[in-house]
Amino acid sequence: MAEDRLLMYAIIGFFAGLYFFFRSFSLLKEKKLIENTPTSKIRSLAIGFSEIYGEAVSQKDKVLKSPFSKSDCVYYRYSIEEYRSSKNGGHWVSKDSGEIMDYFYLKDSTGMVLVDPRKAKIEIPDDYSVESGVGRDPPKETIAFLKTKGMRYEGLFGFNKRMRYREAYIAPKDKLYVIGTCGKNPFVQSSPKNEDTLMMQKGSSFYYLSDKPEKDVVSSFGLWVKLGMIGAPVLTVVCLIIILAYAGAF
Amino acid sequence: MAAGIWIVIGVVVALFVIGFFGYFISVYNSLVRLKNDIKKSWANIEVMLKQRYDELPKLIESVKGYMKHEKQVLVDLTKARTDFMKAKTMSEKAKADGTMTGLLKTLFAVAENYPNLKANENFIQLQNRISSLENELSDRREFYNDSVNNFNIKIQSFPDMIVARMLGYVQPEVMFKVDESEKQDVKVQF
Repeated sequence: MAEDRLLMYAIIGFFAGLYFFFRSFSLLKEKKLIENTPTSKIRSLAIGFSEIYGEAVSQKDKVLKSPFSKSDCVYYRYSIEEYRSSKNGGHWVSKDSGEIMDYFYLKDSTGMVLVDPRKAKIEIPDDYSVESGVGRDPPKETIAFLKTKGMRYEGLFGFNKRMRYREAYIAPKDKLYVIGTCGKNPFVQSSPKNEDTLMMQKGSSFYYLSDKPEKDVVSSFGLWVKLGMIGAPVLTVVCLIIILAYAGAF
Repeated sequence: MAAGIWIVIGVVVALFVIGFFGYFISVYNSLVRLKNDIKKSWANIEVMLKQRYDELPKLIESVKGYMKHEKQVLVDLTKARTDFMKAKTMSEKAKADGTMTGLLKTLFAVAENYPNLKANENFIQLQNRISSLENELSDRREFYNDSVNNFNIKIQSFPDMIVARMLGYVQPEVMFKVDESEKQDVKVQF
C-alpha cells in the first residue's frame, strides 16, 4: 500500500519535474527581459516594450473598495476557502475567488501614465487574511460580502464552519513595478502630455506588475529559474529511478 | 548493465543537452534583443532631436527682433541646426546635439536680459516647449546609456561572452557623454 503511494508520488514527481524544467526556460526569458530593460521615466516613455516604477494613483472618482477590509484600492483579488478535515490532517478548499480592477495611473517624479491592469500577471502579497470558525464569527464586512455571493459561513446546527478569507489589493500610493507594452491611450486622441496619450497595457509579450522593486523581482525570478533548471531535473531523475526500481528494471 | 541504468543515463544526458541548448538560445535571444534595444533607444532620441530641430526656426524667428546684440548666438544656433541636418553617423548627430543643447542654454540665459522678449507670449510658449523637449531628451539619453550599459555588461561577463563572441558582439557600445562645454556654467553678460 505504502509502496503504491510512493510509486504514485514518483510518477507525479517525474511529470512535475519535467513540467517545471521546461517552464523554467520561459521564466528565464522573463527574468532576462526584466534585467535587460532599463527603467523609463514616465515623462519620456516611448511606445513599445517599457518598464516603469512609481506609485499608483486612482482615476478621479474611480476608487474600488476591497471586499473584506473595505480598503480603498485600484485592484483587488480575494479568495474564500473552507477547511476540510481528513484522515491525514486536512486542507483548504477554495469556495470562491475573484479579482476586480480598474484603469489607474502610475506616477513618478516626472509624470503620470495610465495603466490597464487587465491580462497582467500581478504579483502582490495578501494584505488581509482572517479566519472564522466555531465561536469566531467573520467580521461584519465579510458577512455582508458573503451574502452578496449567496454563501454561508454557518454549517450544521448553526455552528460556524472553519473558513478563511484573504484579499490582496493595490491601494493608491502603493509603489508598483510595471513592465509591459506602452501603447496609445485609446480614450484620448491628442494631448501634449504623456499621461493622456499613452497607456501601459498587454502587448505581444510579457506584462507584469509587482509591488516589489526591480531588484527583488529579479531575485525572485532567479530563484525559480534555479529551482526549475537544477531542482526540477534532479526531481525528475530521482522519481525515474524510483519508477524503474518499482518496475524491476535494475 | 541493467536496462534501468541506461534509461537513467539517457534521461540525464537528454535533460543536460536540452538545458544547455535552452540556456544557449536564451542568452542568444537576449543579446540580440539588447542590441536591438540600443538601436531602438537611439531612434527614440532621434525622434526628440527632430522635434527640437523643427522648433528651432520658430524660436530664432521669435527672438531675432529683440536680441540684436546677440547675433552670434543665433548664427551659431542656425549653424548647429545645419550641422545636425548634415550629420550622418550617430557620433556626428550626438556632437551636433550637444552643441545645440549648449547654445539653447546660452540663448535662454541671455534672454533674461530682455524683459520685452521674456514677456512675449510666443517666446514663452516656445521656451516651455523646448525645455520640455530637453527634459525628455535627457531622460532618453539616460535610457540609451542604460541600454548600452546592459549590453556591455552582458558581452563582457561569463558565460554570455561566449555567445556574444559567436555573434561578433565584441566591441562595447559607446555611451552618450556630456560635452565638456555643457558642464560649464552659462556666462551671462549684463
